[in-house]
Amino acid sequence: MGQTPLPTEALNALSAVREADIVIGIPSYNNAATIGHVVRAAHAGLAKYFPQFTGAIINSDGGSKDATRKLVLSSQIQDTHLLMLSTPLKPVHRLSCPYHGIPGKGSAFRLVFQMASLMKAKACAVVDSDLRSITPEWIDLLIRPVLLGGFDFVAPYYHRHKYDGTITNSIVYPLTRALYGRRLRQPIGGDFGVSNAMFSRYLARDDWETDVARYGIDIWMTTIAVAEGFRVCQSFLGAKLHDAKDPGSDLSAMLQQVVGSVFTLMQEYQSTWMAQAGSQDVDLFGFRYDVGLDPIEVNLERMLGAFRRACDDLREIWAIALRPQTLAAVLNLSKAAMSGSGFRLEDDLWVRLIYEFACTYKQKPVERSHLLRSLTPLYLARVASFVIETKHLFAAEVEERIEKLCRCFEELKPYLTDLWLGKGAEDPRPGLQQGPQAIVEVKS
Amino acid sequence: MIRTLEEVFQRALGRLSDQITTYLPPLLVALTMVLVALLLAKGVRWLLVRAVNGARLDRFLKDSGLSSLLGGAGRVRGVPLVAGAAYWLILIAGLLAAVDVFDTKLTSQIVETSVFLLPKLLIAGAILLVGAWLAQYFGRSALVWASNEDLPAPRRLAALVRAVLVFVAVVVAAEVLSFAANVFFAAFVIFAGGVALTVSLALGLGAREAVERHLRGKAERPPEKEERSLWNHL
Repeated sequence: MGQTPLPTEALNALSAVREADIVIGIPSYNNAATIGHVVRAAHAGLAKYFPQFTGAIINSDGGSKDATRKLVLSSQIQDTHLLMLSTPLKPVHRLSCPYHGIPGKGSAFRLVFQMASLMKAKACAVVDSDLRSITPEWIDLLIRPVLLGGFDFVAPYYHRHKYDGTITNSIVYPLTRALYGRRLRQPIGGDFGVSNAMFSRYLARDDWETDVARYGIDIWMTTIAVAEGFRVCQSFLGAKLHDAKDPGSDLSAMLQQVVGSVFTLMQEYQSTWMAQAGSQDVDLFGFRYDVGLDPIEVNLERMLGAFRRACDDLREIWAIALRPQTLAAVLNLSKAAMSGSGFRLEDDLWVRLIYEFACTYKQKPVERSHLLRSLTPLYLARVASFVIETKHLFAAEVEERIEKLCRCFEELKPYLTDLWLGKGAEDPRPGLQQGPQAIVEVKS
Repeated sequence: MIRTLEEVFQRALGRLSDQITTYLPPLLVALTMVLVALLLAKGVRWLLVRAVNGARLDRFLKDSGLSSLLGGAGRVRGVPLVAGAAYWLILIAGLLAAVDVFDTKLTSQIVETSVFLLPKLLIAGAILLVGAWLAQYFGRSALVWASNEDLPAPRRLAALVRAVLVFVAVVVAAEVLSFAANVFFAAFVIFAGGVALTVSLALGLGAREAVERHLRGKAERPPEKEERSLWNHL
């Protein structure tokens, strides 16, 4: 097992609470504004839906300087207001421990899983500490499929604004679906339910000290579950509303960690995804309903401006990753980016681009950091294109648009396979977006 | 008169004969050694190119980015490179051995200096290669970072990073070779000082307003929205 010694506070907490059937993990860092609500929801969920089980709520904290940890232990719920059908027979314990190691969500999850393992928990759920929309039902929806349905991994399914979760919608969901053939709509949703077998498998791995320790954790958990054949399902949780606070991170680093984790796992599970064609639906639990969502403002000009500048500055780096035809097609878009509303980064070009980045990531380990960071303006261009295209569309139509992108990822998978194996794949759309300007001069 | 001329001629002939008897055998030996070294070098090169697979070395060169650094549009192969190096090493060793055959003060000096200098040359070459590699790597890092951070002139910044690193490598290599080390070091100090002064002046005078505008532009963006939009990507 890839174990690191548990912090003293965690060991002390474990000596007080020796066993628990269900563990709810809450990673935190300066979340005093919201964590009280999350803890109350988790506590109420355990008391209301699992009164016959011993529960533990573990807050894995990254060194908060506010009252986060104090609030975890002190926030109160009134059982009488929960309208419970039965009185809880077993207690719900609350623990708050600081984790050690690389600061990040992944390291926090690791401590939760280690403690869950030592407590011999049957099921474990992890939820973000900044959630404003979590209800006790979330705990039921994340834990019940594991405890009573025999599932190993429960992914969340939310209603989100059409411009929310753009890394999910434009890269992670379509790519994961095309690779491993399972339609898990929110693979990096952040709130999961896992079985004992599942978190034991996570703990047995030795790659915790990589991007997994940070933003890579969500896709890492999902990919392992899907690629290693664990039973996976989804639970409808309603809307995801969360406190907008994420100090010390930037889009480029976030994209690098998430996409880097996907590409790294592609190498490990090469034989699995190469044998996979098409995709299948995944069981979805919970009662679906429509919800009102917070509006999201996007700054199109800023995104297109970043792309235009990068076309001048980063072509040297892109030339490492992209084939000449793809690079030419991307650079030709630079002029279109001036027009704003007429800008389009078509699906097949985007898919080729992602596939070529994935292959170069595998082939040139030294350049990985540059490649992934240089993906940021391309991603912003894709988001801008998506925003323009879906400006007047309703949620269902937008979902259909994402479905179309997913199908494109699946159709072009042979192109990825050939490139990956170094077979010199043929351009799937010869002449795409190329004209007389297709010859690209790469300045160094 | 004829007798005198005859004597002079005989003396010259004698000296020539002495010279020939003194230097011809070593010359022949030296030529033979050079020839043997040449044949050996060619043989080793041929053997290396044919006998060694070198796939791992090629992969290392490709993965590390050294192959693109060494030119040939990234198509530099490892085995020909090693074979070429072995060829030249054997040839140089043969030449030095051949020169040493003459056993004069001058040739001894040449051989001594060469033997003393060769390892230093190799180290200096390695330093320059590593310096060039680091310059390329950090130049690219600076380029991507500056571009993503929306800083002005990312390409110039990257070029500056490259130039500084290459210059540092040259200074270190010159120090290893004891070749005008003080000159290079002084040039480096002047260069670094010049860059610092230029940046200070640019910020203090010419680009003050531009920097102010840039900083104001950053500051004017509502931080809440920045963070919010960041979360919304996942």
